[in-house]
Amino acid sequence: MSTHWIVALTCCLSLPALAESTHPLLAGYAVQARQQAPQFAGFSAERGKALYFAEVPRNGKTMSCTTCHTADPRQPGKTPAHRNVAPLAPSVNPERFTDLQKVEKWFRRNCDDVYARACTAQEKGDFISWIDSIR
Amino acid sequence: MKTLALAAVGGLSLTLLVATSSVADDDNHNGYKRPKRLALPSDAPLLWKEECAACHMLYVPALLPAEAWRQQMQTLEQHYGSNASLDAQQAREILDFLLRSSAANRLPVEPSATAGEPPRISQTRWFAHKHDEVSAATFQRAAVGSRANCVACHHGAERGDFDEDRVKIPR
Ligand code: HEC
Ligand code: HEC
Ligand code: HEC
Repeated sequence: MSTHWIVALTCCLSLPALAESTHPLLAGYAVQARQQAPQFAGFSAERGKALYFAEVPRNGKTMSCTTCHTADPRQPGKTPAHRNVAPLAPSVNPERFTDLQKVEKWFRRNCDDVYARACTAQEKGDFISWIDSIR
Repeated sequence: MKTLALAAVGGLSLTLLVATSSVADDDNHNGYKRPKRLALPSDAPLLWKEECAACHMLYVPALLPAEAWRQQMQTLEQHYGSNASLDAQQAREILDFLLRSSAANRLPVEPSATAGEPPRISQTRWFAHKHDEVSAATFQRAAVGSRANCVACHHGAERGDFDEDRVKIPR
């Protein structure tokens, strides 16, 4: 299943219609978001930011994306199991959000850890719009 | 007083002897002398090095028996409270490596004290035996992190170097 739409996304990345300022992964997520919800009306960096900072009670503690990636994604973070995590913001770490399989793998894991569910294509696109706008 | 204390100590070490004798057996009689055999295998795939060291240090395969790794790799979606899931092909490649590289480990599989968790290295009797002089408070120091963060005290841990001559406990 998921491999299929990764192929689908990859095919769309090279579409010439892409504006230069939008992140290359967004076109594919937009296609998928429209499939998931026909009323899809574009991505919002504001909502992406809210997703990053939202705090959720998990196993007696609060979890959020900041737990491991810190309140400033331009800074290195740390996991609860004591591993350093390189910054998430592409402006300081250009390797981020360049490999769709890797991005998908960590959305799958991290959305489950924090929200106990998968993130939607809308949420992923919102998130990338925000993180890619940080300078 | 003194004799009493001595007797108590004597009793204690006897209990310890009994409790750890099976571990000692594994260390000596099966021709399996850890930690000398803990070294990182030279054919370790990059996939394993990257995937299994993203959230914590890299644990060399000989630290657990093969069956314990099998249980680990079957439960990656609920991996100690974290989702560590992999696609099936990558999981297979990592499992194959872990199984063949842990063959020398003949210790029994010991379930984790926490229900629903796969086995832990840091909760085996072997681990307790090797660290009987390290206090719980030492493991909890901020600079250490936890019992599972071997690399805080054994700087070569990710290469499988646990030689006690090179142990350094951070303040
Ligand atoms: C329990 C710790 C933890 C939490 C909580 C967490 N992450 Fe992560 N995240 C990681 C680790 C570890 C990596 C991989 C580190 C690396 O590649 O250096 C990662 C990587 C990522 C990546 C991959 C980016 C790339 O291209 O390399 C994305 C996307 C991501 N995280 C998003 C999120 C979002 C969104 C949240 C909140 C819903 C979140 N993370 C919460 C630990 C965490
Ligand atoms: C998404 C994060 C993540 C990834 C990826 C991950 N782990 Fe873990 N792992 C954890 C967490 C969290 C713990 C529990 C740490 C603790 O309790 O201190 C843990 C614990 C362990 C332990 C037990 C440590 C002990 O207490 O003895 C082993 C063994 C282990 N992981 C092996 C693996 C292997 C093998 C892989 C690769 C297939 C892997 N891990 C990938 C998060 C991860
Ligand atoms: C708080 C620091 C600390 C941590 C964390 C720690 N160790 Fe140790 N370890 C020691 C000390 C100190 C010794 C030496 C004990 C002695 O001499 O009695 C030791 C001894 C050992 C030995 C025996 C070495 C020899 O030459 O005989 C092994 C094997 C070992 N540790 C493995 C591990 C593993 C595996 C982990 C992680 C799962 C770990 N250790 C975590 C401090 C630590």
